[in-house]
Amino acid sequence: MSGPAAGVALIALTAAALPLITRDSYYLDVATTILMNLTLTMSFRLQISTGQINMAHISFMGIGAYASALLVTRAGLSFWATLWIGALVAASLAVPIGSIALRVSGPYYFLITFAFSEVVRLFFNNFFEGLFGGPSGLVGIPKPGRVLGLAFDSKLALYGLMAVMCVVVVLALVRLDYSRFGLTAGAIRQADLVAETLGVNVFRYKLTAFVLGSFVAGLAGVFFAHFRQVLHSSDFGLEPMVLLVVFTVIGGTGSVWGPAVGTILMTIASELLRELHHYEILVFGAVLILTMLFAPEGLVALPSAARRLLRRRRRQATAPAGAGLAP
Amino acid sequence: MMRIRASIATIAMVALVAAGIATRGAAQDKTLTIGVLGPLSGGAASYGVELVRGAEMKADEINKAGGLKVGNDVYHIKLVSYDHKALAADAATAANKLVFQDKVKYIIGNAVGATCNAVQTVTEPEKVLFSFVCWGTNNLGPDKPHSFRAMLSQWEVAEPFYRWVKEKHPAVKRVALISPNDTSGKDTNTAVVKALKGLAFEVAADEYYERGTKDFYPILTKMLATQPDMLDVAAAPAGEAGLILKQARELGFKGAKGWTAGTNPFTIIGVAGKDAAEGVWSPTNINVKSDFVSPTVRRFGEEYEKRYKEVPGVIAVANYAAFDVFTKAMQDARSLDTDKVLAALTQKPFDTVWGKLVLGGKETYGIDRQFLYPVVISEIRDGKVVDIAQVLPAALKK
Amino acid sequence: MSIDLLVQALLNGFGLAMVYVLVALGLTLIFSILEIINFAHGEFYMLGGYITYYAYALFGLNYFATLGLAILTVGLAGVAAERLIFHDLRGRALNAFIVSLGLLWVMQAGAQLAFGVLDKPVPSAFSGVVRVFGLVMSVERVVVTLSAIVLIAALYLFLRWSRPGRAMRAVAQDPDAAALQGVNIDAASALGFGVGCALAGGAGGLLAPLFAVSPAMGALPVVKAFIIIIVGGMGSLPGAVLGGLLLGGVEGLGALFMGSAAVNILGFLMVIVVLLVRPRGLLSGA
Repeated sequence: MSGPAAGVALIALTAAALPLITRDSYYLDVATTILMNLTLTMSFRLQISTGQINMAHISFMGIGAYASALLVTRAGLSFWATLWIGALVAASLAVPIGSIALRVSGPYYFLITFAFSEVVRLFFNNFFEGLFGGPSGLVGIPKPGRVLGLAFDSKLALYGLMAVMCVVVVLALVRLDYSRFGLTAGAIRQADLVAETLGVNVFRYKLTAFVLGSFVAGLAGVFFAHFRQVLHSSDFGLEPMVLLVVFTVIGGTGSVWGPAVGTILMTIASELLRELHHYEILVFGAVLILTMLFAPEGLVALPSAARRLLRRRRRQATAPAGAGLAP
Repeated sequence: MMRIRASIATIAMVALVAAGIATRGAAQDKTLTIGVLGPLSGGAASYGVELVRGAEMKADEINKAGGLKVGNDVYHIKLVSYDHKALAADAATAANKLVFQDKVKYIIGNAVGATCNAVQTVTEPEKVLFSFVCWGTNNLGPDKPHSFRAMLSQWEVAEPFYRWVKEKHPAVKRVALISPNDTSGKDTNTAVVKALKGLAFEVAADEYYERGTKDFYPILTKMLATQPDMLDVAAAPAGEAGLILKQARELGFKGAKGWTAGTNPFTIIGVAGKDAAEGVWSPTNINVKSDFVSPTVRRFGEEYEKRYKEVPGVIAVANYAAFDVFTKAMQDARSLDTDKVLAALTQKPFDTVWGKLVLGGKETYGIDRQFLYPVVISEIRDGKVVDIAQVLPAALKK
Repeated sequence: MSIDLLVQALLNGFGLAMVYVLVALGLTLIFSILEIINFAHGEFYMLGGYITYYAYALFGLNYFATLGLAILTVGLAGVAAERLIFHDLRGRALNAFIVSLGLLWVMQAGAQLAFGVLDKPVPSAFSGVVRVFGLVMSVERVVVTLSAIVLIAALYLFLRWSRPGRAMRAVAQDPDAAALQGVNIDAASALGFGVGCALAGGAGGLLAPLFAVSPAMGALPVVKAFIIIIVGGMGSLPGAVLGGLLLGGVEGLGALFMGSAAVNILGFLMVIVVLLVRPRGLLSGA
């Protein structure tokens, strides 16, 4: 288990080291966003590992966010309780929605989850304005309250909280990926009919991944609500969802570390691109196209692709001249 | 081949990082960095781009004249603008960057309601002065003493506008209004409905459409069935407002027309066509080519058009004026310290492209942070914008 | 609620449905032949709109000639996009998703930088209003709808009777079998992508005088196109037409009874229902 443990340790160490290098509020903000997006992309990838591209992933983040925001501002509950309640609300709603969506597969699943996500977004934007704030959004959400003598008012404290949450989630998801669940998920992704004939309850696996992923998304959503302190339906719409897909795919869906590589590199890249002002979007689009064309398996696959290439080159160099039977 | 491709990708990434670091730019002594935020891409891009252009015009004007003289120092003005793509979370990150990395103490310009709230979570605790054109009612308040609205909003214009309509056009009894389904739209319709009810008009229809809609036949069919005397395209942006008016005319509407939150008359005339745009009343329009504006405004319009190849709308003018007001306040305060500038802002009226401008709005928001200037009611006649009435806000009547 | 009002509402909905069907057909053609979903499809629609603005509104070329120009130019742009970018992505839906997203951003930001950010109006080629039995429709809309129908018919004939059209259909049905039969897959893919984009460009040209042009104008038609294809069935021409009529009818009538957000939700609920009941679409199997 040294490979995955090393990966988790690396993330934990980097996250712990950052505040020692800088206390700049902006860098902490970006780092906190990266960690939050990491929990989202890794849980998204969990679902991809069972062959489902769930475009409603961000909706569950929103459900967790609004649930917690309302429970704290209206019912006076503490963030430390709503963290779990919000995630549970998201997970519970994931059961019926997932059950419906999983009746189809492939591109149809992609489209039906997209349709669900738009319905949820429109719901938060236009209905029950007294509760959700309507198009003006929900404002005045407080930061997490004190717990165990620790205050969470500062950027640093919030960063620390997200870092701990992220490491825990990553640990859990990596262990899951390397367990029997992960292997079965892989089999389902490759050929679910075959898996079915081998006695695997494909539907149950997919639904578990869906609900589990939604629980994590809900957790991230609760954090988001009390970190940004302002909620708007556009935070849970197509644009942010698409970014999650970009991070995951550019990182590489083949490995559990793909999302980590993709999220970290692409977030840093897009922050650097802010300097280009008007040209930011243009260059970002070009980066996407080039990266996908030149690294189709994702960035995480680059080292092994390079290794394979080297091996092939070396074999070719020592092969006898003439056609022969190519390996 | 794959290895070459892979190394190209890596080099591209490294180059990006290097470019990002390089473009930070060398710091100059006596530079005043001012931030501008807005949606610079996507459907709402026209707002953000106009904000940046308005600020640029004023900043360049000041720099060309030798810089901003504040007390005994002269400052070169540097503008830093970021695109938040109309997303609240992005706006918060961009605001963090402006405040903590670029070290700005003034953000002059932002649009799109929810993003204003997000930016305020950063600017208020840090006492950064933040001026925007967002129309959300909750964007101003005593809990946000460092936030300003630089443009008249529906709360300032709806009542004077409809009071004028009632006086001069008593035949108008039933009004139908339509706005986009977002913060500015909701707040505009709310303000207009309140004004209408207060003045004993009948609200025939109070409708919303999704931003980006182009085909208004369905919603117009419903609205026109209520037989309104006047159609107000309220908070619709110029392009969509033009389409609504054009299609309403096609469907047979021949009544009075209003645009409570008008922005760019050229676009509306162009899109609606001269016939459909004829007679549109607006309390917030500005036509920089009109015979009725001051030479300063006309010159601003000419230079803007020469530089950007597009005619400026009211948002560009508003941010140009906002920049003007803030820099003048800095000079009055003889300091860049935000507390002193804040005090100077609330002291006295300023002379701007709008005419005399003063801070007010305590009755509506609980604090004087709304820029108030004369409400000019205009009518579109034969493809031209003609100013026909002027209403001074109470604070300027002294 | 009079019958007149209901019929007018239905007419409103159907009115421009055929143009959205054009966009949908382009999308579904690309999907059939390359097995990828092109998210930048709306940007080709936008390109057609801007070509119409420059050639017809500014330069003064005849409207129908401009339309032809738009269709041709955007079609060529589509071929270029396929050759340069999408060629290797056949069947790799997720990668194609990211790439087409990148293309969307490049094209939209590029258009904003090149053409400016304000809406640019395009004058109507046809003025006047048609009144029949108390129902109203502008002449412009009638011409646009008829033009769209002509283009749809032309597409049908092209796919059915021409050699390249039949080659494209063969690739859509079974690329391996088509290859065995001597069909040049690369050529068919490039042509398919080109024709798909050309349809979008034509739709953009048709709607430009009605709706003015702006860099972000492609976003909404693409969403409608998706709904239409899902409801009607991917890869089915008659399905797209039916999907368009259904969506148009639902939106037209819906607007009478509920707010715009609710109408939008209605469209997506329709998608969900169809995907559950008949995932391949109402008229699939073509």
